[in-house]
Amino acid sequence: MSVQAGHGQDTNMDERIGSGLKQRTKQALQDEFLRKAVAFTTDKLKNGRLQAMDAFGDWEAWRDRGRAIREHTNSHLDYYLSQFADNVAGNGGHVYFCSGADDAVKTFMGIADRHKAKLVAKGKSMVSEEIHLNHHLEDRGIEAIETDLGEYILQLARETPSHLIIPAIHKNKQQIADLFTDASGQHFEPETKVLAEYARKKLRNYFLEADIGLTGCNFGVAESGSITLVSNEGNGRMVSTLPKVHVVVMGMERLVPTFEDLEVVLNLLARSATGQKLTTYTSILTGARHPEDLDGPEELHVIILDNGRSAQLGDPIFQEVLNCIRCAACLNVCPVYRHVGGHTYGSVYSGPIGAVLTPLLQQDMKEAGTLSYASSLCGACYEACPVKIPLHDMLVHLRHRKVKMKLTSLPERAAFKTFQTVFGSVTLYKLATKSGYYLQKPLVRGGMIKAGPAPLSGWTQSRFMPMMPKQSFRDKWAALQAELAAKKAAREEQR
Amino acid sequence: MSRSAGSMTGKEAFMQNIASRLGRREPLQKAPERPFIGVPDFYRDRELSTNELIEEFIRNWTALSGRTLIVEEAEAPQAIAAYLKEVCAELGITRISRWEHDRLRELSLDGPLIEAGIEVVPWREDGADHLRLAEPPTGSEGNWAKRSKLLQAAETCRLGLVWPDCAVANTSTLALFSEGGKGRSVSLLTDTLVAVFRADQIVTRMGEAFALFKERYPNVQQMASSLNLITGPSRSADIENDLTIGIHGPGKVHAVIIR
Repeated sequence: MSVQAGHGQDTNMDERIGSGLKQRTKQALQDEFLRKAVAFTTDKLKNGRLQAMDAFGDWEAWRDRGRAIREHTNSHLDYYLSQFADNVAGNGGHVYFCSGADDAVKTFMGIADRHKAKLVAKGKSMVSEEIHLNHHLEDRGIEAIETDLGEYILQLARETPSHLIIPAIHKNKQQIADLFTDASGQHFEPETKVLAEYARKKLRNYFLEADIGLTGCNFGVAESGSITLVSNEGNGRMVSTLPKVHVVVMGMERLVPTFEDLEVVLNLLARSATGQKLTTYTSILTGARHPEDLDGPEELHVIILDNGRSAQLGDPIFQEVLNCIRCAACLNVCPVYRHVGGHTYGSVYSGPIGAVLTPLLQQDMKEAGTLSYASSLCGACYEACPVKIPLHDMLVHLRHRKVKMKLTSLPERAAFKTFQTVFGSVTLYKLATKSGYYLQKPLVRGGMIKAGPAPLSGWTQSRFMPMMPKQSFRDKWAALQAELAAKKAAREEQR
Repeated sequence: MSRSAGSMTGKEAFMQNIASRLGRREPLQKAPERPFIGVPDFYRDRELSTNELIEEFIRNWTALSGRTLIVEEAEAPQAIAAYLKEVCAELGITRISRWEHDRLRELSLDGPLIEAGIEVVPWREDGADHLRLAEPPTGSEGNWAKRSKLLQAAETCRLGLVWPDCAVANTSTLALFSEGGKGRSVSLLTDTLVAVFRADQIVTRMGEAFALFKERYPNVQQMASSLNLITGPSRSADIENDLTIGIHGPGKVHAVIIR
């Protein structure tokens, strides 16, 4: 499959987010299986969401409440994060605040070193992807095993997730069977049951043997310092129950104030992500095990990461992006994502949320900011968002920012400068419409421009452009007005 | 005995930065006012009768491929023992784990099960002492071989028996407050999960389960270290969107409701 080429490994991937975008898009569009698989799965998820919404009653009231809770939490994050951290520590947990990815990686390595860890079993964690933890562990000779089935498949393929909820959305059964065959030395037929059974047995052993269990955190509960993990497979429970040490890496904004609020976001998350009423397993973990407990980790470490998040706080336009609950509903409805899949975005977070989040977190408008153009601005993402993040508006604001910072291409800037001058002057505008008619003549066939030189070819490759008429609307206006007046007079006479 | 002390690294500067981003000179110390909390009112106010709760739970549970048995209180011990034996026979199960829980003990299920040749591992420190375990697999790290006999035994059990603290009707969710004799592993490591509870333990929505949890543990530091909400069997759609049941946790789930 061509998907793998060029972006199979995430090393240095981030540096080419913008300049590699066109090339990756081209590749994805040529990949028949990818496009079919992504369309099929996103349709299924989207329809599931619509059904779950209908069955839930007054979805708008839920969205409003979800948004209000997330907004309130982030606007008072200093209070709630402090309360959360105090409670984690009060329950015997160890809390580390890390401003950047390096800091978080170093902190994790410190914990791993203290336990002489050689094997880390990982639950699904986008933040660990964000800080490229697996690479650093590999460099240290520590084996890190992804235990979410989709993530495990991708790890064998040495690829990164292309969807927040179904990470291996772009892989077919045959490819998975081949990967398992290569990894195990035994032959596998492309049968879901057989493949899943193998993964269950194989991964069970990792759960039992791991020195450290690593997870993300779907929601932290400030009033108790609890870590909430959701999973359908149960791997999140495994890695937070069996290894002696549990390490959580979480974005600093991933909080709700109380259990009452948790009920709202859990309902929104499950329904928006997969259309389930509730994810199979929701584990709410409060501190390490008690002395009278006979299982559960003996140590709990919580790494809280900023990595560009705090820069959005207090920003009148972008703070709301921190309200995201990572349900991926915006990916499933996005016409762009549905055609090109997640890898095309070249960053850990894909789809509309990725196009907004990536340039903001990396504070990089030059490369990552280019993702704001990977959108038709149709607003489907906003309509689907369970916490009403106006992603389509944010994308426009990001484009604006890119222009303000003079980061668009020189010809583009020159073109818009000319556009501004011409459209700002009556004389020049008239001249342009007149001369345009004559200049286009060599390109017109049957009233349409069907092919043209760059940059016009960008348009004509996929659609025709109607020719400019000889007389502009402006020139016709006097005659049209007279015609209208005559008709009106005639009507009145008839009365 | 209590848990060892926790620790905190790098909090002050981190909080100061957040506060200044939010336009405050210092981090907020006082709890902010909440004009709203939790779910919308129309959802909170919904109330169902006991029969409606049972019906709704079963409808949702069945839709997720869960099986249900309803028994009358007077016949509970015999009926549940018979059901467990039937499930074990059907799947060829010879060893089960169960919570060390007063309500389960009152049903005296161990006797009939042992009689039927089924070994029972109660979740207490000496719960696996009577068993002869095969040598645990020694992986590259050898970690598993060093774990408690109870934990190793739990991993060899194919059915787990629990008494949930409550059940939620509108999602068909079991709420398990795991601590002490109510081990997490019992509902996790087996292929089959059987949950026994009384009809009056069924509540309408998740929030009521949380309210019960907070009421049970008013002091945050005493809270059960794990509250598990279990909604149906373990599942995955990661291979070409094919629904696979029983990927890591139990793939077969049974609810036994005592009326």
